[in-house]
Amino acid sequence: MSGFEIIVEGFMRALQILFSGDQEILGITLLSLRVSLTATLLGAAFGIPIGFLVARRDFHGKSVVTTTINTLMGLPPVVVGLVVYLFLSASGPLGFLRLLYTPEAMIIAQMILTFPIVCGITISSILSLSPKLKDTLASLSAPPSWEARVLLNESKLGLITAIIAAFGAAISEVGAIMMVGGNLLGYTRALTTAIMLYTNMGEFATAIALGIILLLIAFGVNLFLTYLQMRSRIRRTT
Amino acid sequence: MSSTNKILVIFVVAVVVVVASLTVVYTYNPAPQRLIIATTTSTVDTGLLDYLKPYFDNKFNANMTWLYLGTGQALQVASRGDADILLVHDRVRECAFIASGNGTLRVTAMYNDFIIVGPASDPANARGTNATAAMINIAQAGASGTATFVSRGDNSGTNALEIRLWTKAGISTNGTWYVSTGSGMAPTIRVANEKGGYTISDRGTFYKLQSTMNTTLSLVILCENDTSLLNPYGILLLNSTKYPNIKSDLATSFLLFMISEQGQSLIGNFTVNGKQLFYPIYGNPESIGLPSENATVTYLNSLLKSRGLE
Amino acid sequence: MPFLECRSISKSYDGKHALKDVTFEIEGGDLLSVVGPSGSGKTTLLRIIDGLEKADSGEVLLEGKKISGEPYPHRKMIGMVFQNPVLFNTTVFNNIAYSLRFRGEDGETIKKKVDEMLRLIRLHDLRARSALTLSGGEAQRVALARVLVYDPDLLLLDEPTANLDPYNVSIIEEVLQRSNRERGTTVIVVTHNIFQAKRLARNVAFLLEGELVEISDSAAFFESPRDPRTLSFIRGEMIY
Repeated sequence: MSGFEIIVEGFMRALQILFSGDQEILGITLLSLRVSLTATLLGAAFGIPIGFLVARRDFHGKSVVTTTINTLMGLPPVVVGLVVYLFLSASGPLGFLRLLYTPEAMIIAQMILTFPIVCGITISSILSLSPKLKDTLASLSAPPSWEARVLLNESKLGLITAIIAAFGAAISEVGAIMMVGGNLLGYTRALTTAIMLYTNMGEFATAIALGIILLLIAFGVNLFLTYLQMRSRIRRTT
Repeated sequence: MSSTNKILVIFVVAVVVVVASLTVVYTYNPAPQRLIIATTTSTVDTGLLDYLKPYFDNKFNANMTWLYLGTGQALQVASRGDADILLVHDRVRECAFIASGNGTLRVTAMYNDFIIVGPASDPANARGTNATAAMINIAQAGASGTATFVSRGDNSGTNALEIRLWTKAGISTNGTWYVSTGSGMAPTIRVANEKGGYTISDRGTFYKLQSTMNTTLSLVILCENDTSLLNPYGILLLNSTKYPNIKSDLATSFLLFMISEQGQSLIGNFTVNGKQLFYPIYGNPESIGLPSENATVTYLNSLLKSRGLE
Repeated sequence: MPFLECRSISKSYDGKHALKDVTFEIEGGDLLSVVGPSGSGKTTLLRIIDGLEKADSGEVLLEGKKISGEPYPHRKMIGMVFQNPVLFNTTVFNNIAYSLRFRGEDGETIKKKVDEMLRLIRLHDLRARSALTLSGGEAQRVALARVLVYDPDLLLLDEPTANLDPYNVSIIEEVLQRSNRERGTTVIVVTHNIFQAKRLARNVAFLLEGELVEISDSAAFFESPRDPRTLSFIRGEMIY
C-alpha cells in the first residue's frame, strides 16, 4: 500500500471506531473535557478578577507583577509538568496529598498554564481601554463595582480571546499531563496522551479516531467563542 | 443585558454544569483499589498487561494500572514512592535496588528474548545465531557507511542489554552510524524502520508491531536464540516502611498473582499473531542460567499457600 | 459665599506651565464661558475642578469646601461632558440610565427620567440603539443627557460642540441653557468659539497660556475688554 493509502485506510477505520461507541474512547474524551474545561474555568475565575485588580490599582511593584504574569504566559508546559511532578511526588513536599497520577494533578498543572494566559490578557485588555473611558467613569463617580461592570463589558473581546487561548492551550497540552497524570488507562488517560500512546504502539486507526475528536472539540469551542467575538464587535454606521 | 452577554452567560453556566457533573461522577464512583505498576515499555507495547488486567482486576477487585516507562525510569519513580510495585527486566539494577533498601524482595517471574532486526537486504551481514558476531558486523558496516544502528538510549533494560552486548563485543559506539532515540521500544523500531537500520528489540514488541503495522514494517528478524539475548523479568516489592503511602498489600497480591499457577499459565498462553512471547519461569531461574532464588521461592510458596492462591 | 472658587491654581507638565496662578469665583446659577486659544489650559482647568487631576498648588472650593483629587465626595454634584465623548457599549437608554442605576433609583423612576431626557435631546426614537452606532452629534447629545439625568449642581463642558453641525449645536446649546435657566444648574463651558460664548454666557473668562487674563460679564468682555490681549483675541488676531 502506498503511504497515502495507509493514511486513508487508517482514517476509514478511525471513523468505524468512532461510530462504534467505544467505551474507552468515550472515557478518554470525557476526561480530557473535564480536565481542560476545569482548568480553563478556574484559570478564568482567578485570572479575570486578579487581572482586573492588577490593571486598575496602583501599587508598589505593579510593573514587576505585570511583567511577571506576561512572562509566565510563555511557560513551557513540559516544565510546568516537571515542577508539579516534583512537588506532588511521594517524596516531594506535597506528597502527603497523594495527588500524583490523578486527574486533579492534571487540572492543577493545566491551571498553572491557563491562569497566566487569562490574567495577562485581561490586564492588557483593561490597560488598553481608552483613558477617556476611565475619566468618564471617574467623573460620573460610579462606585467601584459599577465601574468594573462597564470596564469588563468594554473589554469583552479581549476576555473572550483570553479564554479561547487558555482553553486551546489546555486541551492540546500533552507533556505536563503525561508527567503528572501518568496516562493511566481509564483514569488519567486524556486525548492527547492517548494519541501519543497509540501512535507509539502503531495503532494508528485509534490514534486518528482520537485525533478527530480532539480537532472537533478544539475547533468547536473556538468557533463558538469566535462567533461571540464577532457579535460583540462594534458596528459603526456613520 | 445584551444578547451576546446572555449567550456568554448560558455558555459559562453550561460549562460549569458539565464540569461539576463530571467531577461528581469521577469522585463518587466507587473506584476499586488502584494499583500502579512501574513497568517497562515491552510489557505494555506487547499488550501483555492489557491481557492480564481483567483477570487480576476481577480476582482482587482492583484497578490495575501501569506507568509506561523504561527500566531506569521505573526504578527512579519507584524509589520516589510514586508507584506500588515494579515489573522490570534488568537483573543487575534490580539487585542494586534491593540492596539499597528501597525494595524488600525480588523474584524472577518470566522471560522473553531479544532479537536483532534489520533490513531484509542485511547489508551488514548480521544474520545468524551469534549475537556478538552480529554486533561486530553491524559496527564494521556502520563505520564504512553501509549500515545504521538505532538504539533506545533511554536507560531502559533493553538499552542496558544492548550496551552489555557492545561491551562484550569490545566495540565503541562512537560514530554517526549509531543513532539514539531516547524512546520506548515501539518508537525505536519505527525509527529503525524509517531509516532501514538495525536495532535490538524484545521479540514481543516486534511481533506486536508486525501485526499492527503490517507491510509498512520492512524490518525482519536477523539474529536470534543466542543465550546472551535472553531477557528475564523481575517483580520487586517496595519497602513499605520507607514508602508508607504505597498499596503494599495490593502489590503483594499482584506479585502472588503473577507467580501463581493461574498467572504463570496466563503468561505462557499470551500470544501475538499466534506466537508466544513470554515464558513463565517462576521458581526455576537456573534453567536459563540465572542464580537460584530458592530462599525467596520457598517464602513465596508458603505465602501463596496461606492465601489460597496456588 | 460663592458657589465655586478657584484660588491660585497652578499646574505644570514636564516643566511646562499649563496653569499659572488662576483665581476666580462664580455664583450659583451662573453660566460662565471660558475662552482662549488651544493649549491655554482650559481643559486642564476643568479637569482640576472635576478632580480628575490635582493642582500643583492652589485650591478649589465648592460651596466653601475644599476639594482635591480622589476620593471626591462632591463629585456627585458635578457632571462633566468631554470633547469627543466615549459612550458605553450598550443601548442609548442604558448609557443615560447608568448613573441613575448606581444611585439606587428604582426601575420606574429611571424609565421616567431617562425618557424625559431622551425627549429633551430629541433622541427618543434611538433609545434602543447601540450607542456606538451614533453619529458624533448624536453621541454628544447622549453624553450630555448621561450627565444631566442626575441633575448635577455644576455642569462642566469641554468644547461640547466643536466639529458638530449646526443642528446638533443648537440642540446642545438649547439644552444647557434650559438646564441653567429652569433648574439653576451652574454651567462652565469651555469653547474656542467666540460667537458661542457670546450666545450663551453671562460671564466670560479669557485664558491665555495658562494665565487668567480677564474675567467679566459678557457685555463688558466683548464691548470694553480691559486687557489689550483680550481685545486682540476677540478681533481674531490670535491665530495660533
